[in-house]
This record gives sequence, C-alpha cells and structure tokens, in this order.
Amino acid sequence: MKKSTLIIAPIIAAIAGGIAIKQGYIPVFTAANGSVRSTSLAADVDLYPAKANDEYEVAQSGRSPKTPAPTPPAPATTTPPPKVDETALRYFARQGDKRRLEAEIARLRALYPGWTPPADPTAIAPQTDPALDAMWKLFAAGKLPELRKAIGDRQTAEPGWKPPADLMDRLAVAESRDQLINASNLKQYDTVIRIGSSNTSLLTCSDVDVLWRVAEAFAKTDRTARAKDAYAYILDNCTKPEERLATVQKALPLLPRADLDALLAREKSTPDGGKEFDSIRNDLARKAVADAGTDPKLVVPPADLSRVEKLANDGTEPSDPLILGWYYLRRNDVSAAEKWFKLSHERENSASAAQGLALAMIAQKRPAEAEATVYAWRDSSDGTRAVYMAAVANLLAQDPPVEIPAAILQRMVPEVAKAKDANAAQQLGWYAYLLNQFETASGWFSTALQWKPDDEPSSYGLVLTRQQLGDATGVAAIQRRWAGRSERIARLGEERNTRQRGLVPSPELFGTPGAATLQPLPLQPVTSSPGPANPAISSTPLRPTLADQVAETIARTQASQPQYRQAQELQVQRAPPPSRERPRRPAGNAGPRAPTGCTTTINPQVLSPESALTRGWCLMDINRPLEAAAAFERGLLSRSESARSDAAYGQSLAYLRVGLADRAAVAASKARQVPSRQVELDTALLASRATEAFNAGRPNEALLALDQRARIAPERNDLMILRGYAYLKLNRVADALRVFEAVAATGNRDGLRGIATVNAIRKREY
Amino acid sequence: MKRRILLFLLLAAFTWHEPVMAQNASKPTVKPQDWQAYKARFVNESGRVIDDGNGNISHSEGQGYGLWLAFLAGSKADFDLIWSFTRKEFLLRDDGLAVWKWDPNSTPHVTDSNNASDGDILIAYALALAGSQWGRNDLIETAETMMRALSKSNIIERQDRLLLLPGAQGFSEGDREDGPVINLSYWIFEAFPKFAALDQSSDWKKLGSDGLWLVNASRVGPRSLPADWMSAKTRLRPAEGFPPEFGYNALRIPLYMMRAGVTDRARLGPLRKGMSPDGTNLAIIDIPSGTATTTLSDPGYAIIPALIDCVLDRKKLPDRVKTFEPTLYYPSTLHLLSLSFAYSQHPECL
Repeated sequence: MKKSTLIIAPIIAAIAGGIAIKQGYIPVFTAANGSVRSTSLAADVDLYPAKANDEYEVAQSGRSPKTPAPTPPAPATTTPPPKVDETALRYFARQGDKRRLEAEIARLRALYPGWTPPADPTAIAPQTDPALDAMWKLFAAGKLPELRKAIGDRQTAEPGWKPPADLMDRLAVAESRDQLINASNLKQYDTVIRIGSSNTSLLTCSDVDVLWRVAEAFAKTDRTARAKDAYAYILDNCTKPEERLATVQKALPLLPRADLDALLAREKSTPDGGKEFDSIRNDLARKAVADAGTDPKLVVPPADLSRVEKLANDGTEPSDPLILGWYYLRRNDVSAAEKWFKLSHERENSASAAQGLALAMIAQKRPAEAEATVYAWRDSSDGTRAVYMAAVANLLAQDPPVEIPAAILQRMVPEVAKAKDANAAQQLGWYAYLLNQFETASGWFSTALQWKPDDEPSSYGLVLTRQQLGDATGVAAIQRRWAGRSERIARLGEERNTRQRGLVPSPELFGTPGAATLQPLPLQPVTSSPGPANPAISSTPLRPTLADQVAETIARTQASQPQYRQAQELQVQRAPPPSRERPRRPAGNAGPRAPTGCTTTINPQVLSPESALTRGWCLMDINRPLEAAAAFERGLLSRSESARSDAAYGQSLAYLRVGLADRAAVAASKARQVPSRQVELDTALLASRATEAFNAGRPNEALLALDQRARIAPERNDLMILRGYAYLKLNRVADALRVFEAVAATGNRDGLRGIATVNAIRKREY
Repeated sequence: MKRRILLFLLLAAFTWHEPVMAQNASKPTVKPQDWQAYKARFVNESGRVIDDGNGNISHSEGQGYGLWLAFLAGSKADFDLIWSFTRKEFLLRDDGLAVWKWDPNSTPHVTDSNNASDGDILIAYALALAGSQWGRNDLIETAETMMRALSKSNIIERQDRLLLLPGAQGFSEGDREDGPVINLSYWIFEAFPKFAALDQSSDWKKLGSDGLWLVNASRVGPRSLPADWMSAKTRLRPAEGFPPEFGYNALRIPLYMMRAGVTDRARLGPLRKGMSPDGTNLAIIDIPSGTATTTLSDPGYAIIPALIDCVLDRKKLPDRVKTFEPTLYYPSTLHLLSLSFAYSQHPECL
C-alpha cells in the first residue's frame, strides 16, 4: 500500500526526488535550478473535495493501490538489485519496433538506475509462451481492450495464471495515454493534467507528443509557469532536433515573451555552426510586431522590429511587410505604414494589404487612391467594407471639393446603399447639396437618417435642404425633434427670419433666372453662414457638369438596382428626379383646418386685411413670396396705418425675395415707412437693382445702383465683388483690381478669385 | 389530482424496497448463450457497444448497459474489454463523467463534451457492482468519482425534490425557458441504494423516492402516462421541443421500477394499463390524444407489460418473450435486463 501510494499519489515530488531526473523521464516539471516543486500537479484541480485526487487517478490507471504487487520498486529501496523484466524489450527488438524499443530502454533505465540494456536484445532465448507472445502482439498493435479481454479469458481458462506485472503496467499506461490524447482533443484539459500527473511514465522524451499536450493543458488552464516548466523539461532532456524546434513552436502562441525567452536560452548550436532556434527568433519577432499591430500600447523591442524589417526587405513574402504596415499604422506613422503596405501589396494583392494601404492613404488625405485600392476587396470582410466606406465618405467630403469621375460615383452609390452606411449617405447628401441638387440631397440625408435615426449631422443637412426647398413644415418638424439637443438646428429658423425680415438679400438673388441657383456651402456642416457667390465664378462650366453627373448617377442607380430601390423606398418617394427648376411646393402636411398654417392655397381676398397680413408673414416664413405678396396686397387695405405700413414693407420684401426689384420699389412706396425701414428697404432695393442690372448685361446701371446704395449703407463684400466685375465688364481693370484687393484683404475667397481673373485678363492682353 | 398524488406519496413510503437482486448476485442472471448472442451482435472486438438502430454510433448509455450485462453474465473478460474502451474513449470530461456520444464516422470520434446522466449512472452502477463482487477497488473508486461528479453537475433540488438533470448542459432553468427538464427513464432506481452505500455526496435514496413520486406526478393525458421529457418548472408537463409522447425512453420506467423492487399495483397498474391499449402489446402513446402511434411488437418491448403481469398477478410470460434472439440494440438490451430479472426474482413466471 505504501509503495503504491508513493508511485501513484500525485505528490510526485517524492518520486522526483527519488527517481531523480533520469534520461527520458519527467517525473515532475522541475525548475531549471534543479529545485523541485512540492505541490502536485493534480492538487490544482479541486474537483473532488470529498476524496483525495490520487484515488481517482488510481482508478483511472486501472490498478488498485491496495494491491501493491505490479508497481515497480521505488529506487529508495536500495536492497538487492531487482530482477529486470526484459520481456517487452525483447519482444520489441524482435519485431524491429525501434520506437518502442527505445522507449522501453528509457523506461527501464529510469526504473533501474544500475541496469544496462543487453547488447543484442534480439539474440534472446526463444519465446516459450506463445499466448503471452500474442498478448504482446496485441499491445504493440495498440489493441488494448482486446488485450484486456485476452488476459481475462486466460485467467478464466487457467485460474492460476498471472499476467506479467510489466505487461499490466504498460497496458494501464497505454490506456491512460489513449485517454489523455482523447481528452486533449476534446479540450478537457483538467483530465489531461490529471492523467499526466498520475502516469509519470507517460512523460518521456520518447513520447514527446504527450508532453506537448500536458504543457498545452497547463497553458490553457492559466498555469503558464507549469507549462513553461514542461517545455523547458523537453529542451533540457530531449535531443531530437525536430522535436526541440517543434517544442518552442508549440510554446510560441501559449506563453508570454519572458517565458519564451527562457526557453530560447536553452538553444544549442547546430552542427553547421548555426543556432537551432534562429527561425523561432524570427517567428517570435514577427509575433511581437504582429501583436503590436493590434494593440498600440505594446512596446516592441527594437531588435525585433529591425529583425522583421530585414526579413521583409530581404524576403519575397508579402506577410512580413504586411505586419509592419499594421504596426506603423497603429502608431500613426502613416507614411511608414504606407511604404510597408505598398510592398506587401506589390508582392500579393491581398485583402489585408489593400485594406491597410487604403487606411494609410485616407490618413494622408488621398481618399481617391484609397477608394481605388480597396474597391476590389470591398466585399471580402466587414473590415474591408468599412474601409471602403471610409474612403467613399472621405472622398465625398474633401474640402475644397474635387470633381469625382462619373464612373467612380457610379460604383460608389450602390455600395453605399448595400452597406447602409449612414455616414457615406450623409456625405452624398452634402455632395448633392453642394451641387444644388436639393431634392437629391434631401433623399440622401433622409436615407442616412433611416440607417442612423439619431444622426445630428444628417438631420442638420436635411433641415438645411428643406429650407432650400421651402418646406417650412418639414423644417419645423425637424426642429421639434431636435429641440434642446442641437443648437444649430434650433437656430436655423432665427437666422432665416433675420435674413428675410432684416432684408439681407437671399443668395438666390444672384442666380441666373431659369437655372439652378448656386449656393456653395461647406461640405461639412459647419456653422459659418454661406456667403453669396459671384455670378461670374458660379457660371463656370464645372458645376453644372458635376451636378448632372450626380443626378444621372443617382437616378440610374435607383432605376437599375432593385435592392437599392427597396432600401431607398422612402427616399425615392420623397425625392423626385433631380430637377433644375425651383422645387414645387411640398404637398402640405397641414390640412386646411390647421389653425396656424398657411400651406393651403386660399384666395387672400376672402380674408380680413389683418388675417391677410398674418398670412403674408407666414407665407414668407415658408418661402412662398409671390403668394405672400398677394396676401400683403390684401393687408394694405387695413384701416390701421401701422398695419398698412407693415403690409407694404412685407410686400416689398416679398418681391425682393423673387428678384423683382422694380415691383419691390413700387410696393415700398404704397405706405409710409418708419425711417429705419425705409433705409433698410432702399438699400435692399438698390442692391437688388444692381444685381439685376448686372445680370442683364448693363454694368453701368449696376454701378449706378451701387453708388446710390453706398450713400446710405456701407457696401458689403458681395456687392463690392459685384462692383469689381462690373468694372471689368467696362474694361476698368485697375478699378476692378483695387476693389478685389480690398475684398481679398478681408480674407474673402471671392476677392482672391477676382484678383486671379484680373491677372488672367492682363496675361491675355500682353 | 392533488389528493391522488398525496395518496401515492404515502404509498411510496411503504412500498419502497431495497433491491434484492444486486445484493447477492453471486451467480450469473444473464444466460451465457444469451450474452454471447448479444455480444456477437452489438459489441465489437474493441469493446464498443454499437447502437445499430441509430447509425451504429455508441453512447455512454450503451457502454453502461454493456458493462452491466457483462457483469450480470459473469464475464470478467468481456467486462474488462468494454471497460477498457469506455475508459479510454468516454471518460474524458474534466469533471470525471463520460461524454455521451461516440461516432465512428467523425474525427475525433467525440465532438460534444456534454454528458448523459443515465449513461453515467449505468456505468457507475456497473463499476460498483463489479468492484464489490470481484474485489476491484479501482472500479469502485472510479464509480465513486462519478457519483460525486453527478452530484455536482447533474443533481439539483427544487421544491424539496431532488431532480436528475439529463445532461450537465442544456436542461436547467438557465438553459431553457421551461427548464429544468427531466427524463424519468434516467432514474435507474436500483442503482441508488448501491450508491448510497458508497457515497454521501447526494441523498441517493431520496433521489430514488423522489423519482418514484415524480413518475406518478408526471402521469398526464387520457391514458395517464408520463412523457419522455417533462418540464419541472412548475407543475410537471411535457417539455417544449420534444414530442409529447410516452415513447422509447419512458417505456423502460416500469422495468427499472420492478427491478428496484417496486411491486405495488397502485404504481405499476396505471402504467400497465396506459402503455398497452390492446391489453397485450406495448405502444408509443401520444400524450394529449391518448392514441397509440406505434405498436411495438419486438419481444424486448413486449416483455415489459408481461413482466408487470407477472409481478402483479403471477401470470406466466408468453413463450415468445421467454427466449432471447438479438434484434436491435435497444430492445435486445431491455429484453436481457427483463429476463435477468425474471430468472432471479420470478422464476415462477417462466
């Protein structure tokens, strides 16, 4: 009993001390300095609190601790040299089974320190027990249950017969080995450790696979120190080069770097003078760099980094430059990242290389190249799709905007729809907005909001677009939804009202009649208010062309892609084919009974003058100035002088809004105005008249109006620009340049363009 | 309903006997030629018990039955054969229990690490029987390890009743909306007194008597039968996702009861009546409608109602069930367990 406990109990330290560290054995994973761990392997597993673990292990081994006979003698007993059972050894030798012969020699050596193997194990007296021979044959074939049965059958047939202890031992160990391998395959790591720790004779260099599996089980159950000891044991004791190399390779993904370095320190020199783990050091450096490519906080030893860079430069594989690309990208060194991604990409156009390269390009504000690089890989993973969408969004959002070739736009739009990418949809909205495609912009902003309902930038885009489309109800709806959550959305109406009532001319006034009015807006929804563009600039051919492309692309895509159409159902309904006309009024949401609205068409003649006045302002609010003018006309019939004054003021503003300066002037004269309003109206009228005259090709009249206006109000930048172009038309180049320079001095871009135009004209002339 | 349950509970207190057979099974109760025929058909040379009605897979239940029958046949060599395979291939779980399924056509052969508690009970019971009978402490100790692991992984107490979960995963409240779900045919009643003598990690006798109580409380529908799979969340009812039937699982419940020493009419009578609409043959019964969906004529099934008649009324077994011919793994197994019971306990019915 005592003896068997000594062998089998998981207090393997006892054995480790006794059997010591024999060639080919790993009684316990000893530390490098030779000290022995006193805790058992199995003691870590507290599954059976009622009984000690060792008893379970005994049961597993198929042997009974209460029948001490079959256990090999412990080396502590130094009395007469034990008789060594060489049956198995001889059998394997005769069979020519070298692997098992070797294992058996190692095993017997460990058990019997004074024993030397026979010089010629095959030259042994002939076997006298054919039945036993057959049993060894079953054993050698791994037919362990069959061997159990054969032993049982013989014991039944020959009641006095006892199987050799060696056979029984080895059978139990072999069964345990099978069990261990099966448990390891099923990731039952506690079982692996339990079996390994109670079958120390399994843990030999002759069966290094078992050692690997036990080490793995330790590592997978958060006992990395034990795992390291196991791997170190192999390197300290086992000699086959390929197994040593494989040992470190197996440890590579399981152990922390410090432990791996401790294993590498056990390196031996190869016969050709090299180091046996050189390839491992490369792998280790690669792993360090690769890990750091996913975790920017990791610090890579410089030696590892330069090792991998050398490997990347010297080799032809795409993988080394690739991990370097990710490493540098995560450290925001985008130009280095691009260099390595590019090298990898040249060696192999892989998804990862394209993805990384595109990211590096985006980071360096080259989204068009990024789009082209990753387009082919857009469907290969969520990651590549996200990068493609980022390239698209950045391409659309470039400031200053660039023209996107039609073919590129054409392929981007369905991808945005497919990915349901709210950000990219929003950027398409701004892009369309920029091109004055407000219906289209509205559609994209709405789509973005379908995909990301609480997106403030898209809501802001939508509210701006609705304002452009004159949809006051729609504007108010968005403002209600964002009340208290977005200042810029809330303040939009105020700005608009101020502008309308305060007589700041709408940018539309500068538009060419009948064509889409151009109102360049920043692509990004920033808070600065848009400045009116110079008509000479806005009529450059670039804009309409671009607008046509966007419009056509989007319309075509909608028609040809059923899945897109489905996703965009709402958008399609809301966004009729892009039109260059001013939008028709949106079908009113508020019904005729709506108490405060003015969206229904009513003949103002049926209203009281006071109601008509209210309605006039309401119509101004929703940007229906012609109807407002009619309502104000009715309001002029009021008996109240102040109401009549209000009505005249309103009507004048209404005509100004649609660019009818003459009518506005007439309206302004219909009732007396307080002086401040009179000045306000006059300045607005004169500005409007100047613009109208300029657009009609009458620069002299334009200058006249501007001069009149300048007498009662300071000249705004936009009007100074107008003045500059009027001078140019009259060939007063020096005057034009003076005006443009004054404007440019305030940082105004239109002023700079004016100077450029003057310079271009002068160049042509000389 | 409530009154009836109470009544049966009282009866249970009086009619629960220690199993007689296992205590003094000194001589084989499965005939050597029957075991040979069974083994030749369902146990391969490497000790794997093959379920030929189920794609030739093996499972812990089959290995447990194989070990038990080898023990009942008194064949140590065959027991060692099956045990060697069972240990290497099934006893892999970290908690010391057996994995439930082994498929010859997959690599590795075991891909699911869940257990089946009836398989574990059968294996542990067979190990405990053989260990005591043959003086093999290694077998007893493994059995004890499995008992402790069952207590830890598969036995829970709800509403003062001990419940046996069919597997460590998939059947508890956390795993299912209608959990815990139980299978009353997983209670191998005769094993529990044996377990109680070896291990105190669970109140094994209470598990047995609670099981008997649950069998009565589970009897529902026009034919008053338990379903194979019952939800024990509140009142016992057929579990979601399983056919609500008295099926191939539940039909062995009365066999296990009789083998464990249950003899009273109040327990066996309703099962006998319910399971056999034509009075003779055993049938699969749809619980809600009470209709027989399949009549089972295999002697391995037919012997069960006949055995109840023997126990309750001393009726002789019909000739066609008295002799053993292997058919399919499952009914053949039940047949040998039934015959073994008749030989040892009721020779007068033969």
